[in-house]
Amino acid sequence: MTLYIFLTLAIVSVITALLMVFSRNPVHSVLFLILTFFAIAGQYVLLNAQFLAVVHIIVYAGAIMVLFLFVLMMLNLNSETEPQKSTMWKIMAAIAAGSLLLTLTGALRGSVQLATPVQSNPRVGLVENLGKVLFTDFVVPFEIAGILFLAAMVGAVLVGKKDLKL
Amino acid sequence: MEPSGYMPIVLQSLVALGFVALVLIVVPLLGPRRKSDKKNENFECGIEGQGNARMPVSIKYLMTAILFVLFDVEVIFFYPYAVNFREMGFNGFFAVLMFVGVFLLGFYYVLRKGAFEWDR
Amino acid sequence: MEELRTIPIEYYLYLSTVLFCIGVLGVLMRRNAIVVLMCVELMLNAVNLLLAAFSTYLSDAQGQIMVFFIMVVAAAEAAVGLGILVMIYRNTKSTDISLLDKLRN
Repeated sequence: MTLYIFLTLAIVSVITALLMVFSRNPVHSVLFLILTFFAIAGQYVLLNAQFLAVVHIIVYAGAIMVLFLFVLMMLNLNSETEPQKSTMWKIMAAIAAGSLLLTLTGALRGSVQLATPVQSNPRVGLVENLGKVLFTDFVVPFEIAGILFLAAMVGAVLVGKKDLKL
Repeated sequence: MEPSGYMPIVLQSLVALGFVALVLIVVPLLGPRRKSDKKNENFECGIEGQGNARMPVSIKYLMTAILFVLFDVEVIFFYPYAVNFREMGFNGFFAVLMFVGVFLLGFYYVLRKGAFEWDR
Repeated sequence: MEELRTIPIEYYLYLSTVLFCIGVLGVLMRRNAIVVLMCVELMLNAVNLLLAAFSTYLSDAQGQIMVFFIMVVAAAEAAVGLGILVMIYRNTKSTDISLLDKLRN
């Protein structure tokens, strides 16, 4: 049963990701990518990482993808204005990505020595446990993430506001 | 939780989606249908429709949207903290206070630069 | 949790490899800079999925914390990147990445 859910979600995510790459209209690309993200959120639920699934939907589908869609609508980009690469270039890109896929899968085959988990703990993905780990072992990265946000805010304002009041 | 524990949620979303799909399928079947070019226009009289339905949005919203994304990600860190609020004690409190302080610093900078001023 | 072991960890490895390669394909293939940024987000998500899978299979929460930090970086990257792209669009009236080769010579 779980295996079938996994396979369904995997097929959906791969197909929507391919549609995202191949659709002409950038707005359709964004919508297909949102579907991919929902399928990945389903995988997180299957992995017992419930909080991760919720945060993934809130942050990716709810904020980042909306920002992308917003910018696309603001610039009024449609399939007519979409620049296209030449067919030659597209074939070369497909060959390059395909050989990367072949190399990676070839390297991965039989490389994983990880058997089934020694002692499974279904409470790993709960918010409570994550908070404990985050605020004991990862306090310094947490503060650095705050500083990264400060830098991103300053950068976005400096780049985005043309007529700054200095 | 076991995957089977999600059965109620799956059932509920199936019922909700099924209802919407059912209504969307049944309504056109029940009602009378008359299709013509005149009927399919947005307004039967008055100005004729032209152009694309995708209106370009004003650039004034851009700063608001970008800063919304940056502030939205805070939820990742605040929710685990809120759940563990009591056990963390003052150590966790000061860590979060520093984080919020950095954010408020950024917010003050954004306000001083006038990123939210509307008519400029 | 007992049911989860019916899925070997290799499946997650292969799934995230495939998603990552689709992201690479998009980056190489598309010329719209916004779509290229979206493909980078897809690659980040493939890595996130793998981290979450190993975190669950090893019963170690650190992998999921790493995913949080990757999400933070992705949000900051999207915000600044889109700001830069909009400003490029204001100057060149296009989001074509092949126009951005002014530093080549």
